[in-house]
Amino acid sequence: MAEIKKGEILLAMRDTTKAFGGLLAVKDFNLNLPKGCLQGLIGPNGAGKTTAFNLITGIIPLSSGSVEFKGERIDGLEPYEITRLGIARTFQNIRLFSNLSVLDNVRIAYHAHAGYSLGDSLLRTKRYTQSEKELTDKALDFLSIFKLEGIAGEIAKNLPYGQQRRVEIARALACDPTLLLLDEPAAGMNPREIQELMDLIHFIKERFDLTILLIEHQMRVVMGICEYLTVMDFGEVIARGTPREIQNNETVIEAYLGKGAAKSAAS
Amino acid sequence: MELGYLASTIVKMVALIAWIYGLLWGLGRKRLWQKAATLVLAFGVIQAVILAPKIGDFALFSAFDQGLLFQAITMTMVALGLNLIYGFNGQFSLAQWGFYGIGAYCSADITYRWTNGDASGLIVVGLGVILGALALMGVGKLLKIKRGVPVLSAFTFYLFALVAVGFIAVWLGQLLSPICAPLFGAPDAPGVLGSPIALQAVFFLSVIFAGAFAAEVSFLFGLPVLSLGSDYFGIATLGFAIVVKTLLVNSDTILGFKEMKGGRGMLGIPKLTTWAWAFIFLVIVIVIIRNFIRSSTGRATLAVREDEIAARAMGIDVAQNKLLAFVVGSFVAGIGGAIYAHYMGFLAPASFDFIAGFNPLIIVVFGGLGSMTGTIAAAFGWIFFLEGFLRILLGQLGTDAPSWRFVLYPITLLLLMLVRPQGLLGTVEWGFFKAEGLGATIKAAVGIKPKKAGE
Repeated sequence: MAEIKKGEILLAMRDTTKAFGGLLAVKDFNLNLPKGCLQGLIGPNGAGKTTAFNLITGIIPLSSGSVEFKGERIDGLEPYEITRLGIARTFQNIRLFSNLSVLDNVRIAYHAHAGYSLGDSLLRTKRYTQSEKELTDKALDFLSIFKLEGIAGEIAKNLPYGQQRRVEIARALACDPTLLLLDEPAAGMNPREIQELMDLIHFIKERFDLTILLIEHQMRVVMGICEYLTVMDFGEVIARGTPREIQNNETVIEAYLGKGAAKSAAS
Repeated sequence: MELGYLASTIVKMVALIAWIYGLLWGLGRKRLWQKAATLVLAFGVIQAVILAPKIGDFALFSAFDQGLLFQAITMTMVALGLNLIYGFNGQFSLAQWGFYGIGAYCSADITYRWTNGDASGLIVVGLGVILGALALMGVGKLLKIKRGVPVLSAFTFYLFALVAVGFIAVWLGQLLSPICAPLFGAPDAPGVLGSPIALQAVFFLSVIFAGAFAAEVSFLFGLPVLSLGSDYFGIATLGFAIVVKTLLVNSDTILGFKEMKGGRGMLGIPKLTTWAWAFIFLVIVIVIIRNFIRSSTGRATLAVREDEIAARAMGIDVAQNKLLAFVVGSFVAGIGGAIYAHYMGFLAPASFDFIAGFNPLIIVVFGGLGSMTGTIAAAFGWIFFLEGFLRILLGQLGTDAPSWRFVLYPITLLLLMLVRPQGLLGTVEWGFFKAEGLGATIKAAVGIKPKKAGE
């Protein structure tokens, strides 16, 4: 795949539509994501934001349109193939491997690049021993970036909520992505945790040279870190622009608060 | 006298459980010679008590106990395979007993024919299994190049490939077995192939081929069925177990294997399962399952159990991973079946009824889903307690009383599920089954970078 320079389009969704029976969850959705930017995808509940994420990651198939990543079409690929191309995601309701340790959660993300075959592991060859050790060291190093090395042996479900979020982000990054999709990372967090999360997002973006697409309801996060916003309602894009532009956009206010509110805001 | 006998049974049970734990502990040591010494010791101890001379009426390890031991070993193999499928990969399967039956009949047919001076069983199954594996790999490669083939079409391709291979194998078997026939010699002057050593080698091959045959059948069956959700998969596997049993009942008519004698049961299988063979295969199975689970593939297997969608998002090919676990589990069941057939010397389709297929399932749940140690302990405990101890204990009360053990063990199960729903051992592992040196690695890493104050 061609190397994409900063500022060039990394991910492009063209006229993507997803119909669940008669319901158009996402309709003629267009999105251009330049490399290195941090875009937000916002909208009221049921606007189709998570569906858009599922379309990108291939969890549900497109009804029509196309998704291009690094200039090549990825719609129709299996989710695991899309992940291996460099798109990783987190989930709205945390989906950790809850009965496994934090370390294993991260090591699972390395599976595609494990460096040894099943035959190696059955016969316990030198390659297995070596790769497995490297893998574990790499995972522990990786966890220490997120200051999680102290809880590497903990079972994921026993962690407090905020840490589970951190682990989930760490796990997604262990897939070695160029594009990271975050689905409501701040949901259910207190103000202090939100601040930490925003710092973390900034930090990983620089550290791993990421492009980030973010779904979020917390306006503090959206306005605080996003460079550009796309607003959805009923499966369609109703506005695009910088956070400042969106804040004063009448259609957006209407979608969130209703017609009367938009009027009173204007007057 | 009877009380003494009862007491000795309890002692034997405890000793055997200790033996298992010792074996696992020893295999879990770091050095190679420590593992080797453990194997020799573990083998030797049982071999010694088997060979120990009788003192009057009292045998240290009677033929009855030996029977229990072999039953426990086959049950361990089947249950370990099932634990991989159900406990570690989360796919509720009732087909395990079917693969057990397939393995048993497959290997029994090979050795039965061999002892009757007919090499066709070995040649057909051996060639079929090897060519079949190649064919499956070839079709798999082709399907990978031509992307996006629906699963049912893929299944059809695999099916055709295997059927074609089957015909080729049968044809080659008819061609080659007459050449081998003179080499068997007469019963009073056996030829090269008629020698006991050749028979032992054929037994070894038949066990491996039986496992491989079960694995290939499971691949073909699992490919379309595993794409169903877990519950539907469970029902489909139940269907598979019933189909296998029905085919075995009609093996002499529908399948055309006269020597299997259908529902009357297959007689005259050479009793080749010795303690040495049983031990070797038990260790092989334990090592396969443990090495599978303690690998990157094994972690992916666990991830699929925990959350399929998240596993997909982590770059894991979920369909392939499920199929792999299913095939490895069935391979192990096939080996278990082969060992069982050559210990019993007699196979009846009734023993492969799906009702009996719940036994390994109960053992897996009893020992703890996702605990290999638990499965082994439960399998040995199950056989020795239920078939050994309780039978003797209740036998004191009357001839019909042993049937009461089928009342006692459900009650035990109920109580366990109420008190400890995660099973006897939960997910705790012991010795050999523990993740290798993980605790130490984590401790070392944390030790180097101690937590800063205030974090």
